[in-house]
Amino acid sequence: MARTGITRNIVVTGVGGQGVLTLAQIMAQAALNESNNVRVGEIHGMAQRGGHVVSFVRIGDGALGPIVDIGTGDVIIGFEPLETLREISLVRPGGHVVMNTHVQYPVAVSMGHDRYPSEAEIDRLMSPFGVEVTKVDAMTLAQKAGSPRAVNMVMFGAVLGLGLLPFGVGTARAVVRSAFGGRYEAINSAALDLGVAAVSGGS
Amino acid sequence: MVKAKELLQDAVGETLLLLANEAIARAVLEAGVRLVALYPGTPSSEIGNSLTQMAPHMENFYFEFSANEKVAIEVAGAAAVAGVRSMMVCKGPGLNVAADPFLSLAYVGVRGGMVIVVADDPSMWSSQNENDSRYYALMANMPMLEPADPAEAKAMVLAAYDLSEELELPVLLRTTTRVNHTRAPVPLGPIARPPEHVVFKKEPLRFVPIPAVARKQHPALLRQIERAREVSEATPLNFVTGEGEFGVVTSGVSYNYVREAIEALSISAAVLKLGMTHPVPEDMIARFLEAHPTVLVVEELEPVLETHLRRLAQLHSIDVRIVGKEQGVLPRTFEFNTRIVMRAMTGVLGVESPIDWDAAEERARSVRDLPPRPPLLCPGCPHRATYYAIRAATRGKAIYPSDIGCYTLSIAPPLETADILFDMGSSITTACGIARVTGQDVVATIGDSTFFASGLPGLANAVYNRHPICLVVLDNRTTAMTGHQPHPGTGLTGMQESVPPLRIEDVCRGLGVEYVRTVDPFQPLSEVVAEVRQLVQWVRDNRAPGVLVSRAPCALLTAAERRSTGVFPEPYYVDVDLCNGCRRCLNRFSCPAMYLNQETGQAAIDPALCNYCGSCVHVCPQGAIKQGGV
Ligand SMILES: Cc1ncc(C[n+]2csc(CCOP(=O)(O)OP(=O)(O)O)c2C)c(N)n1
Ligand code: SF4
Repeated sequence: MARTGITRNIVVTGVGGQGVLTLAQIMAQAALNESNNVRVGEIHGMAQRGGHVVSFVRIGDGALGPIVDIGTGDVIIGFEPLETLREISLVRPGGHVVMNTHVQYPVAVSMGHDRYPSEAEIDRLMSPFGVEVTKVDAMTLAQKAGSPRAVNMVMFGAVLGLGLLPFGVGTARAVVRSAFGGRYEAINSAALDLGVAAVSGGS
Repeated sequence: MVKAKELLQDAVGETLLLLANEAIARAVLEAGVRLVALYPGTPSSEIGNSLTQMAPHMENFYFEFSANEKVAIEVAGAAAVAGVRSMMVCKGPGLNVAADPFLSLAYVGVRGGMVIVVADDPSMWSSQNENDSRYYALMANMPMLEPADPAEAKAMVLAAYDLSEELELPVLLRTTTRVNHTRAPVPLGPIARPPEHVVFKKEPLRFVPIPAVARKQHPALLRQIERAREVSEATPLNFVTGEGEFGVVTSGVSYNYVREAIEALSISAAVLKLGMTHPVPEDMIARFLEAHPTVLVVEELEPVLETHLRRLAQLHSIDVRIVGKEQGVLPRTFEFNTRIVMRAMTGVLGVESPIDWDAAEERARSVRDLPPRPPLLCPGCPHRATYYAIRAATRGKAIYPSDIGCYTLSIAPPLETADILFDMGSSITTACGIARVTGQDVVATIGDSTFFASGLPGLANAVYNRHPICLVVLDNRTTAMTGHQPHPGTGLTGMQESVPPLRIEDVCRGLGVEYVRTVDPFQPLSEVVAEVRQLVQWVRDNRAPGVLVSRAPCALLTAAERRSTGVFPEPYYVDVDLCNGCRRCLNRFSCPAMYLNQETGQAAIDPALCNYCGSCVHVCPQGAIKQGGV
């Protein structure tokens, strides 16, 4: 019955359809199962349809409101580099960014009307925020687990593997198992484990 | 979404992680509500989505997706007049649609408890405006409660029914997006069982507000609202927490930000948290103002509580510094957060903030200039094909009144087929006004759900007054924008029963439209373009309204169907030997599944995103887009 003294503020950011809300919900359920107080902030409606989606998970007794504001996030879980950069100001100095390196062009870029920032530019723009960045090739690992739709669970595994959440891999696994049915359960569980493995054991 | 099975379980004391919307659906079960009627609208949509899943498994319970909010409030209001507990749910603008019966309901009152849930949307995450529905409680003289979080939302629904029955008035439960869409632990309570039938007891001199009746009812209502104020003085929903010289008055989700801000700033403050915000507890507020020389009012949107405070301070000659929106200390637009409240408090009290907000805001500005990623019509969306055809047929020169739904996204380039929009149903009526005074071609578009919700009176008007308008009904067989609820054209009810659907073509003909044709937007685009041209020509020649129904299911429905059957069509691809890199497909059709291959300069299709509509095949002048094994 671990009670966290402090509030852990987590931001999940990505593109509509990547499973941002699903991860937020699963993470919160895992935290609740370990007797933590939780709040999840979601936005539905217009925000989907392939647009940018962000969701907040707050864990701990101090979590009352649903919003993680600029400079107050402990962890950002970014499903896509540009969408990670878009929310980078939410993280506090000394916070942690876990980012999927797989790029998904916004339409203006794929149509050739706008330019996607290079990896070096993204790194440069992130550096003033004083955060530790861990990059994960979650798309490749998700495909290895059996579906590109399992990117969110790879990212979940990575964040767990880095010890950034106030609950362990075992609790997470149990929630993932009960959240997905049939074939998808095996894929998502495998994705979670690949995510954990990706961040443990050196570079 | 939490599964209906979990919301239905008889497990007192169990704690579930619920959205406030799901908690409200659960409260329906715990309060023994007999009937719920609503028209979907974000941020309230999951209430209906949960109830329609639960309804077939609940005893003596009836749920419907009504045609619109005015219909819903009348259906639910009558059930409560008959003597059972009922509920109506809508988003903020939905209460505008239901405003006429809403005001009468307060006059006639109810015999069974009635709760009207209205979900406002500060910051307009999914709304056409951020109107503050609290004014309706003042205008109608209807009691109002405002929860701060999901657990309180459930508890307040139960309290609202008791209050409603005590006062024989409907009660407004006003939420905001950050309550509706917050997920938090919610303890389950016992389930109550509604009665199967009640007998309608006639009492026309109460329930038919002819002037002679209404003249008695208005003073009676004012007496009831005075009784409600006495309830408000005593209810535990209004309470003071903490102590100190500094006073804060707040309600709804802002209460959380206030508590977090006080904690973060390590200040002492007394917080008057109002759960019942109409009528406000006037004596309690006056005492609070007497006891605190400085009082900050923290409420999103309009200065409703703030105005009450200023009124009461004047009335009771209290010397107090009331701070809020009037001095610009807190904004009147958009949602709040802890930072906004902390900044207001540091300003008022002159204390230091432990977080350097200026630096954080400065850093935030450094990453503002990024390529945007707005919401778009999905790959394979039938609306894209229809709008492409409308634009091509009219060369972009007609006026395009639009309406509310996914299809409003056609405002974006390259479709750019949304020129004017007021509210649901306004496509038809604004078309009438424009066609009458300009003489230009006018091609209005309306979704199928919106057509049934509020298109019919406008269409009757267009026919009878012979307005020369072209109307294209975008029938994607669902209410897509709000999460795929059924409507009268779909053949499914809120109770999950199959019924004969209303046919849009029959409805139009029945209303007297002489020109009614149907097109499949996924047939070769040139044919769709020809259909639109023919419609425009007919309207020019006949100076009367013409209707084209463009019918193909929402791509998300088709994709779900494919996933369940496991049958997928052959993929589409760009033949690299034929594509000359002209970019016509990208520039004119802009399907999110297509992209420019930066190395070759040719178009390409992402097989993971493509939804197999095949429309792009007809956009390419080279015939380079093909279907089949590569
Ligand atoms: C008065 C009012 N009620 C409800 C809504 C919420 N709402 C937004 S779009 C929409 C209808 C969408 O359905 P449809 O017209 O069929 O278009 P689609 O999204 O399927 O393309 C609704 C009910 C609203 N915006 N205003
Ligand atoms: S949800 Fe359906 S109607 Fe809405 S944009 Fe996607 S395909 Fe089109």
